[in-house]
Amino acid sequence: MDFKWDSEQQSFRATVRAFLSEHLPADWEALAHGPGSAAQSTFSTKFCGALATAGLLVPHWPQHWGGRDADPWMAFILAEEMWAAGEPRGGQYMNVNWIGPTLMRFGSEEQQARYIPPMARGETIWCQGFSEPEAGSDLASLRTRAERNNGSGYRINGQKIWTSYAGVADTCFLLARTSVGKNGISIFLVPMDTPGITVRQIPSIIGEGDIHEVFFDNVEVPKTAILGAEGQAWEIVRTSLSLERVGIPRFALAARMLDRAVATLKKSGRFNGGAIEQAARAKAACEATRLYSYSIIDQRKRGLPPGPEASAARFATVTAERLVGEFVVEQLPDALAGGDPLLLAHHQRAIVAGIASGAAEIQLNLIATELLRMPREPR
Amino acid sequence: MDFTLTSDQSALTSAIDRLATHFEAMPTDFYGFTLAGTQLEKELTDGEYFDIAGIPDLGPLTATMAVERLAWLPCTAEIALSMLVRPHLATELPRPFAVIENGRPGRFVATAKTLLIINGDDIGVAHPSVDAVEAVDSLYAYPMGTFTGNASVTTLSGSDAANVRKWLRIALAAEISGLLHAAIASTVEHLSIRRQFGRSLGTFQALRHRMAECTVLAGGVRWLVLKAASTEDEGDAALAALHAQESATRIVYDLHQMLGAMGMTLEHPLHLWTYRIKALLSELGGRGGQAAAVAALCFNSEAA
Repeated sequence: MDFKWDSEQQSFRATVRAFLSEHLPADWEALAHGPGSAAQSTFSTKFCGALATAGLLVPHWPQHWGGRDADPWMAFILAEEMWAAGEPRGGQYMNVNWIGPTLMRFGSEEQQARYIPPMARGETIWCQGFSEPEAGSDLASLRTRAERNNGSGYRINGQKIWTSYAGVADTCFLLARTSVGKNGISIFLVPMDTPGITVRQIPSIIGEGDIHEVFFDNVEVPKTAILGAEGQAWEIVRTSLSLERVGIPRFALAARMLDRAVATLKKSGRFNGGAIEQAARAKAACEATRLYSYSIIDQRKRGLPPGPEASAARFATVTAERLVGEFVVEQLPDALAGGDPLLLAHHQRAIVAGIASGAAEIQLNLIATELLRMPREPR
Repeated sequence: MDFTLTSDQSALTSAIDRLATHFEAMPTDFYGFTLAGTQLEKELTDGEYFDIAGIPDLGPLTATMAVERLAWLPCTAEIALSMLVRPHLATELPRPFAVIENGRPGRFVATAKTLLIINGDDIGVAHPSVDAVEAVDSLYAYPMGTFTGNASVTTLSGSDAANVRKWLRIALAAEISGLLHAAIASTVEHLSIRRQFGRSLGTFQALRHRMAECTVLAGGVRWLVLKAASTEDEGDAALAALHAQESATRIVYDLHQMLGAMGMTLEHPLHLWTYRIKALLSELGGRGGQAAAVAALCFNSEAA
């Protein structure tokens, strides 16, 4: 057991930091506010293109798809540095973490050829059409329907909600019902300019352009738009979300913002008493979360299947984000009132830590059942 | 970064597992506050387990795993200080060890051959005579004792004291980590068996979620202490000790709540872990002391 980075890992981290230093503009921190905004999406497309050119967008992907087969540690180091910087990849982090790998595993040759190369070049943004007004945590109850259309394809009707990046996305990774029950859900890869799709931004406290309603009104897609087989969505999504669960190293930005808040307080002589205890608690939570996440990456590196430890890592992340957020609100309230745009951006992202990618309470259920082996709740 | 155990670490932890198996059962007629692990201590001594931190292929990280694993047991012996702190003192000192912090009663003091005496920032070493220490009754599940102060004390240099304090923090966190594991396991067993309202208590989401949160906190403590033992960094040690005391405070309350009146009796063993934890909550300055150390050692202004 070794907690040190090897020389290759240190070198890779230094390379990523140098790239960020060179490519983030002086006003980046102000831009980081609103990861789904048009301004940041435009910047992110340019930034991801440069990352791709430097071989730093998808290093962990297979060479065949533009990567270099780097191991999971490299992918996570990359993600840590990106998230700590305020995630200049914008919504494209999803392509890198799970949409691309999911298409590599389940996509048809045609789908792979069409969608993966633009992701590897950093040219495209996807959105995730999962949640619906009546199907949030209870995803299996989703109602958006995809009905066979004279044998040539599907006609989709329904509504998605809380969809990040929908206002700027090129393609939607859409869940729709093709028959009844959990095994009646299928995945469709749907270009967002398909006639019948309407996107409405929902004003939110988490930043400009972040969440949307997406309406599907008689949207016609060919049968080649389906990912995998009809009814295979549950299996595919479980795989995808296991990649996503520790895909975002939220602790990296939280820890950095905590350091920044403490440095600011020290400069003004306000780091004392209760602030010290609160900051120290948050720091310990961030570092515990970091190690939890590393343990999952270590498992991945060793080829072990995702287990309930990923849920524990996710919940630890939620706690750390909360403690850092509360520290800033209590001890450095000026940060959210024009004082520091990146602390503001962090706060906006941190408040959804327990909601995005599945509610934290679902993770607690998984921990109780799968890690503690407690008896299941009656259904 | 590689969390795989080496073959030496695996062999040692397996040996500790086998040894511990003999001490997992509770005596059926025991209803006391403290279950002394006299035979456990003898077997650890005979097997030279107290010296594993000094073996190059094992080191303090493996010793930390051993301390943590042995803290799962319902019985207790002076293990953590001997395995993790004693190797970092300049000369070979006799065990058992105990700590006297600002004059308060301490664990294993009445039988200690070496005392580490903490007064503020100073740490001294003393070898008390039998009449300089005295056992005291307590609610804690460790044998507690007091020191009369009647022994000569050798004060450590500032750097030696800082090093000893670092390993005291790691020892504290390792012990708490193991105790949390055992206390949670004991509570899960109760929740899985005990039925109310026609169902196992463990099927109620209110309890499941609290247990899951406790488990996440305990897991974090374990990772932090393993890292601290590996890096031997003062800041990492402070983080581990802080998270251990912080998490344990909440977890102990929750676990007793889960047990209800059952956990108030000495017939159920939960107190053998939770009232050891409670004895550890105030050590080394408690949460406030660890937080001050974290504040001094762990914030990086340059990276902000």
